[in-house]
Amino acid sequence: MIQVIERCSGSDKIGHSGALIALRGISRLHDGGAIPALRNVDLQIIAGASVAIVGASGSGKSSLVNLLCGIDHPTAGTVFWCGRPIHTQQNWARLRRQSIGIIFQEFNLIPTLTALENVELALLGHRLSANLRYARAAGVLERVGLASRMHHIVTRLSGGERQRVAIARAVVNEPKLLLADEPTGNLDSVSAANVADLLFKLCETAGMALILVTHDDALAARCQREVRIRDGVIVSDTNQASSFRPSEPEDAAKSVK
Amino acid sequence: MNLVSLALHNLKRRPVRTSLSTLGIGLAVGSALALISLSHSIRDSTRDGMDEIGDDLEVMQKGASDIFGGFIPEQTAERIRAIPGVMRASGELFMFAPNDLGNSVLTLGWPDASYLWQKVPLQAGRVPNSGERGVAVLGDTAAISLGKKLGDELELIGKTFRVIGIANYATVVNRGMVMVPLVDLQGASSRPRQVTVVHVIVDHASGRAGIGSVRTAIEALGRVSVSTTDEVLDNDRNFAILEAVSLAVSIIAVAISALSVLNALIMATQERTREIGIFAAIGWSNSRIMMSIVIEGVLMCVIGCVLGVLLSFIAAYVFPHIPAIGKLISFRANVGLIVQVLAAALALCILGSLMPAWRAVRMIPAEALQRM
Repeated sequence: MIQVIERCSGSDKIGHSGALIALRGISRLHDGGAIPALRNVDLQIIAGASVAIVGASGSGKSSLVNLLCGIDHPTAGTVFWCGRPIHTQQNWARLRRQSIGIIFQEFNLIPTLTALENVELALLGHRLSANLRYARAAGVLERVGLASRMHHIVTRLSGGERQRVAIARAVVNEPKLLLADEPTGNLDSVSAANVADLLFKLCETAGMALILVTHDDALAARCQREVRIRDGVIVSDTNQASSFRPSEPEDAAKSVK
Repeated sequence: MNLVSLALHNLKRRPVRTSLSTLGIGLAVGSALALISLSHSIRDSTRDGMDEIGDDLEVMQKGASDIFGGFIPEQTAERIRAIPGVMRASGELFMFAPNDLGNSVLTLGWPDASYLWQKVPLQAGRVPNSGERGVAVLGDTAAISLGKKLGDELELIGKTFRVIGIANYATVVNRGMVMVPLVDLQGASSRPRQVTVVHVIVDHASGRAGIGSVRTAIEALGRVSVSTTDEVLDNDRNFAILEAVSLAVSIIAVAISALSVLNALIMATQERTREIGIFAAIGWSNSRIMMSIVIEGVLMCVIGCVLGVLLSFIAAYVFPHIPAIGKLISFRANVGLIVQVLAAALALCILGSLMPAWRAVRMIPAEALQRM
């Protein structure tokens, strides 16, 4: 079971239901059922797709993302990866280590470590030599435009740079699915545009599925699909014609070196 | 970056907590080492003193609970001397005798003709002549602590003795004792014709089998037990109680150090809830998260143990220079003891680390990430 869920490859990538990851009848209740965050949600994400999850504050967007990466447990329902149900925390940890990257609005970096060390943390469970870990972490930091800042303590970096470190940490293991929970929510407009461009570019280049939680309709419009949530229920799920669209050509050039 | 460097990094991040915790462990380990060393040193010092006298066997009252607790007839020594294979035998009465300064001093009474008088390493003066009464030979440390020199008078158990010799023994216990004629000590202590022990030297030409046969023959005299020096100490109830108390206090000290680690790690884990949530979110397994916390606890423990060993060495250097301690016992490094205490401390620290580690991995990562 563990080996099967490590990577979806070839025909396994879409599984029997055609989805990389799927939620079936997922509910998440808080405070003993008094507060429903999600109610009977069904959702399928195919490999390589970009999906925006939109909705007002408290609508259940973040709860949905937490359940999609297994850092929270559903009260009811099942999550499937490549068509197979994920039940144990051990399996979820392995998926997050190898196939799912997460980016948070709050960055969630270890504040006393350098950018490079933060990225290396995501490689510690991979039985890589120290040199290889260093090379991979440095390589991905270079890809996100932080080659010259990799040895800086992350608290000395700007918000945009910290989010790039978080992106580098999320993609260093070349996941199949990238979850971004309001990744530009704490950034100024220029940094937000650069980070968004970087995210879309990385996903497009690597063929990663992207699930992007956002308040920003313009950002959501850049995804292939938009899922709207209200009061813990999916109220609309629309395919959009557009795919990757850089916000401003010059900004994109700055962000992806 | 690896788990060890991450743990070191975390310890450096909280210098005050790390310092206080390691100091707590160090004091506990140092106390445990010092206490157990103390009991071992008393035993070792006593053994050294007995070895310096150089006997093969000690004959005591059967069933005596400790070396001070039994008495046998003085003539037992004569009967032992008559056993084939026995080279020498001498009775000895010993006790802590109160002196005119209000203290007690280890006092030994030897028969006039005892070979023990001949083995006294005199620094000054002489040993008693046969039939001479009311005289004493002092170990050099005893002479200093009592403030006596040749020709001075010393009162023991209400009887006055004149100092006629100063002995220069090598061991701490023997340097602190006073030797007087057996008859004088028997009279003063109301133990006429009684001794505490009979020292026996076996003719070594007969080998170990000879010692065995002599031992059997002495035991056949009845109402006596025959022991080697080590056996005397092993069977002594006072030493057993001392070691048991030291061990109990040491276990408490080491347990306190484990609690110190537990407290420090629980606090550190609570502070790092969000960080642990991050580790879980990037795919660290439960075992890896637990390992990172346990490694931190072990590192803290190792630093504390090193500090504790250093403190115990300082204590071992300082204690002998404190007259009240140094005149009675000597300290020496005991690698086996250090290894045992450190192993116990490390085991307790690992156990102490497992609890916060277990608590950490039971958290739901999403909730951990919401903590400040």
